[in-house]
Amino acid sequence: MKPGPNGAAERPDLRQLHAKFGDAVRSLEQDAAGEPVVFVAPERNVEILAYLRDSQGYDLLKDVTGLDLGGDRPLQVVYQLWSTRDSNSLRVKAELPPDHLKLGSAFDIWRASNWLEREVYDMFGVVFEGHPDHRRILMPENYEEGYPLRKDFPLRGRFSRAEQTRLAMSQEMEDIYSLDELVVRGRSGAPGEDRGDGIETQNMILNIGPQHPATHGVLRLVCELDGETIVKCTPHIGYLHTGFEKLCEYRTWNQVIPLTDRMDYLAPILYNIGYALGVEELLGIEVTPRCKVIRVICSELNRILSHLIWVGTTAIDIGAFTPFLYTFQERERIYNLHEAYVGARMTTSASRVGGMMADVPPGWLDGVRDFVETFPNTLDETERLLTQNSIWIGRTQGVGTIDGKGAIDVGLCGPNLRASGVAYDVRKDKPYLDYETYDFDVPIGEYGDVYDRYLVRMEEMRQSVRILEQALARVPDGPINVDDPRVILPPKSEVMNSIDGMISHFKLVMEGLKVPAGEVWSSIESSKGELGFYLVADGGPKPVRCRFRGPSFMNISALPYLVEGELIADLIAVNASVDIVLGEIDR
Amino acid sequence: MSKGDRSTVISERRQVETEIPRNWFIAKLDDLVVNWARRNSLWPMPFGTACCAIEMMAAAASKYDQARFGMERMGYTPRQADVLIVAGRVSYKMAPVMRRIWDQMPQPKWCISMGACASTGGVFDTYTLMQGIDTVVPVDVYVPGCPPRPEGLLYGLLMIQEKIKGESVKDRRPREEDPERVGKPHLSPEEIELIAQPFGNSTFQNRVSGLESSSPILRPGDRKE
Repeated sequence: MKPGPNGAAERPDLRQLHAKFGDAVRSLEQDAAGEPVVFVAPERNVEILAYLRDSQGYDLLKDVTGLDLGGDRPLQVVYQLWSTRDSNSLRVKAELPPDHLKLGSAFDIWRASNWLEREVYDMFGVVFEGHPDHRRILMPENYEEGYPLRKDFPLRGRFSRAEQTRLAMSQEMEDIYSLDELVVRGRSGAPGEDRGDGIETQNMILNIGPQHPATHGVLRLVCELDGETIVKCTPHIGYLHTGFEKLCEYRTWNQVIPLTDRMDYLAPILYNIGYALGVEELLGIEVTPRCKVIRVICSELNRILSHLIWVGTTAIDIGAFTPFLYTFQERERIYNLHEAYVGARMTTSASRVGGMMADVPPGWLDGVRDFVETFPNTLDETERLLTQNSIWIGRTQGVGTIDGKGAIDVGLCGPNLRASGVAYDVRKDKPYLDYETYDFDVPIGEYGDVYDRYLVRMEEMRQSVRILEQALARVPDGPINVDDPRVILPPKSEVMNSIDGMISHFKLVMEGLKVPAGEVWSSIESSKGELGFYLVADGGPKPVRCRFRGPSFMNISALPYLVEGELIADLIAVNASVDIVLGEIDR
Repeated sequence: MSKGDRSTVISERRQVETEIPRNWFIAKLDDLVVNWARRNSLWPMPFGTACCAIEMMAAAASKYDQARFGMERMGYTPRQADVLIVAGRVSYKMAPVMRRIWDQMPQPKWCISMGACASTGGVFDTYTLMQGIDTVVPVDVYVPGCPPRPEGLLYGLLMIQEKIKGESVKDRRPREEDPERVGKPHLSPEEIELIAQPFGNSTFQNRVSGLESSSPILRPGDRKE
């Protein structure tokens, strides 16, 4: 945290906050990027958050997470807010003593906080009072080993591997699928209750997943049905929980990059770049102009890559197989570009702190140019198959509708939010990589249904092509990596010929790069929505906390609100339309 | 193993071997026909969880087209499938689900472990990830890679076909299932402990780096000034 002159105290919203709540606002600080951080008294936390939303316009809850600094130091619960009115961000922190991990729930203020707070409970053991559904979310319900993201929790867990396997396998499957956890309620009232027309009805429970081809991964949906109408849908996640955030704390800053592309494997380079941007913000370095343009090219290619698989798989789910073959053909071309650049098709690990893993190979930009020229044709063909197709229209229009206000409340982001008419795009609202210098439009929808989400993504691909054309026209010459010995390895000639070069190489490889103490919450616009990185450093070679705010996590937590009252057949369409990737949801 | 044990094992094997020559021609014909049919109409059960699942989809899509080898029909129900392709990370929460799918598949069945995470846990030696699915289900073919390319998966499927070629209809032992083992791990606790030892990067179980810092890193030009 930056001490000294504090710009945060000057901000009018924070002055008013301080004036209203007095001592409950304990301190005002600034993070590495100059963003204000407000420490509040935990017992008045909910009150302050409600005031910030209602009177100061912080209507978008981006993230709720925890931060354990180890030892006896208090555990922090972090709320990241954003005001769509003023384009301001604010971080609110409540410090909890280790022996009293209790906090009021913000569920009544933002419905989006539902799953986020459950995750904080699951990973840190903070109890949120007044939370409507206070259960573990990622780990199994009966997990006994503790709270994984606490600093005293070992990386491999407390129990031996054999014991962990035994516990996992000794779960009674019938218990997992038991229906006790579901409160059977709904239009017809309690099961077996007379509806008034003399017919006794009972709601039916239908379980989908965790292994089901239409759930786009290992997602489990438990639906309560009244006839064919969904009364309540409860998604269960965590079947792919990998422990990324814990593992990152045991890896050096650059070693985290290969982990990031295994989180969102549909748009890996976006994750690589977003993470590198976050660390660079912590370090206070800016990448070279050439690197910025190359990163924009990679980002937009990956946005297309991810939207293509979305169109293909969603079409399969709704019954059209042909677009899948069309879109995968184009995906293969982007994979070929990946391979030519980094050598891998999918797990790219393309970025490094301070630049990219290498400069692009000769002729690579021509390959991108070729793709940019021919790709719109395929897009047109795919659109001809779907946009005016009456089956497609019948399955998607008016299905899973949500308005803009509701979408903000439940935490939808990215194309889903824009389909509901909210023109929030990080590339426009908080530009990074010089996105403000590119000429592109942010498509927004009108009705917020599945069809609008489809149209928004199709249009976004066209806008990506526009950005790619502009970027290709302006790729500057020059180095790809910053000239900073703290983060970038010296060239081989220097390592071999000078003792300083050799020492610098040795230290960077053996110790890892050092990031000064501080924290930052940086975000980029991923293909699925706002991808946030909350990074905390203590000056050492490894992160203290790497929090990845995945857009899919927020989108899937909004699914129950989208499908309530819809038909069961539309559940598949709606679930497909929010574009989830389980690797990012479960992390 | 005592002498008595060994003799029974050998005698069992003898029995099988001696049975074969009696109906040698029929058995050989059976093998040829049945194995030919089996290996050319393998129906995969895609158990895709993470990155590898996308490459599995690529293997099924137009460029690689695994249907050329008889895997035309992706069986999304385990009851109508022959090959379980476990593609991606499998967490402890998912383990009983995977075992149940394996138990639900009818014999004859085979299993492919696709990718580093399914085979060994990969880079994720963490509190939640199973260190190799072979602790829970028997695996026939491991496909290395993170993720394997679609060609890799196709090669794995061809290896299954090779394996089927060598099977005999008479010899039912590989196809026998113990009802007692349903829903149980495939390996014993001791074996799981043995194969789940940390190695490579996963030996770093604390947050200290290789070296503690001594002095700031210098640019070659800096020292001369």
